[in-house]
Amino acid sequence: MAEINAGISSDVIRGYNDTMILYILKQEPSYGYEISKRIRSISEDKYIIKETTLYSAFSRMEKNGYIESYEAAGDGSGKKRTYYRISEAGLNYYREKCNEWELTKDVVQRFIDGSSYLIMKGDKNGND
Amino acid sequence: METIKNYLEAMFANMPRTADVEKAKAELLQMMEDKYNELMDEGKTENEAVGTVISEFGNLDELAEALGLEKEVKQEHEESEANPRRALNLEEIRDYLQYSSVRALCIALGVALCIISVTGPILLSGIHLEGVGVLIMFLLIAGGVLLFVFSGITSNKWSYITKGGCFLDYAGSNYTMEEKTRFRRSFASRLTLGIILCAICWLPLVLAEAMSSLAGLGELFMITVLFGMVACGVFLIIHSAMIMGSINDLLKINDGKTMSSKYTEAEVPHYKDAKAEGVMSIYWPTVRSIYLIWSFLTFQWWKTWIIWPIAAIAYSIIKSLFRSDYPGSSANNNNQI
Repeated sequence: MAEINAGISSDVIRGYNDTMILYILKQEPSYGYEISKRIRSISEDKYIIKETTLYSAFSRMEKNGYIESYEAAGDGSGKKRTYYRISEAGLNYYREKCNEWELTKDVVQRFIDGSSYLIMKGDKNGND
Repeated sequence: METIKNYLEAMFANMPRTADVEKAKAELLQMMEDKYNELMDEGKTENEAVGTVISEFGNLDELAEALGLEKEVKQEHEESEANPRRALNLEEIRDYLQYSSVRALCIALGVALCIISVTGPILLSGIHLEGVGVLIMFLLIAGGVLLFVFSGITSNKWSYITKGGCFLDYAGSNYTMEEKTRFRRSFASRLTLGIILCAICWLPLVLAEAMSSLAGLGELFMITVLFGMVACGVFLIIHSAMIMGSINDLLKINDGKTMSSKYTEAEVPHYKDAKAEGVMSIYWPTVRSIYLIWSFLTFQWWKTWIIWPIAAIAYSIIKSLFRSDYPGSSANNNNQI
């Protein structure tokens, strides 16, 4: 897994930036830099989201009605920031994306050398 | 932090000026500022913090896609390849302004020499040296013409600046606006002094005549003083107006449709179309000419000043009619850096 640290391809992860952002917003409303920091810490520094990527995602998801933005003064600093919160449609979208990922992972994993998939499959067969 | 702002401004300089783009820029700046502050709090050096923030910024193509601006960004890429517009550097701006002030000096001095040249024959006719007087007049006019020619020689070198090949980036705009602010005060006093000199040029002559019955040389001398005052006044007016004019020309080179026009709009309003722009650019020179022509034809300086307040009121009305409003430019004013 440490290999990913050498550079995560933005093409690959692109489809799941929304998922990461929605996961964070699902817990509590947040603002740009806070979200980027959380993505970084949850991924244990393996993925650093670019500012333009993050803003593009905000803008796209807001247009689609998955998130809503509002102005609020941040924690203590009194500085006005744009906060984002997840909407009902966003929650549904998040669940869809989770299912999609499970499926994607399952499919791609079958083609990865030395993966544990065969063992998993063996287990499954055994259970059957 | 200034570096980061400049970087962001440069990225956005040629993006179309819309509310969406302004919002995106403000948001990105906020994120970058948050990251920068945190890195500084962690004890990173300014350079490290700036380097990290910029390297993690991303690229505008992605943003353009989300904002529905792919067409504009692509167009901009193609345009900049076919016809590269480059940002003027500070040294160039400084040199250009220096050249402009030398040119203004040459032309103002040339005009002043031409005005004062007539005093040669007038003054010397008093001692019956008309021939020498005329010779002096031609010499002074020749000097004036020489100055005009000289001012034109180097102008080609700088024509590229105002012919659309360049633009002012954020730092350049700020520098030029600072120069303008610095010059503004001396501009106002020089212009006022110039107008006053022209307005009261007849005073010494009239006073001298009232105090003693002037005759011969004395009167000729006072007429010379009159022309001298006019020459000084005109010199001050032309010199300061030309310097101000070239600063304003420089501030106007940014394309009004792109974000870069925002830097200088406080100084130089952008108008709806080229026609309005043309009308507005000759407004004050026209008013000034009318004022001077009217005044010199009638010599009723106590009446002609009325042209200024009227012109000022008319100017603000016309300006508000012609001025173009950009989407979101008022709504996002509080987000400006």
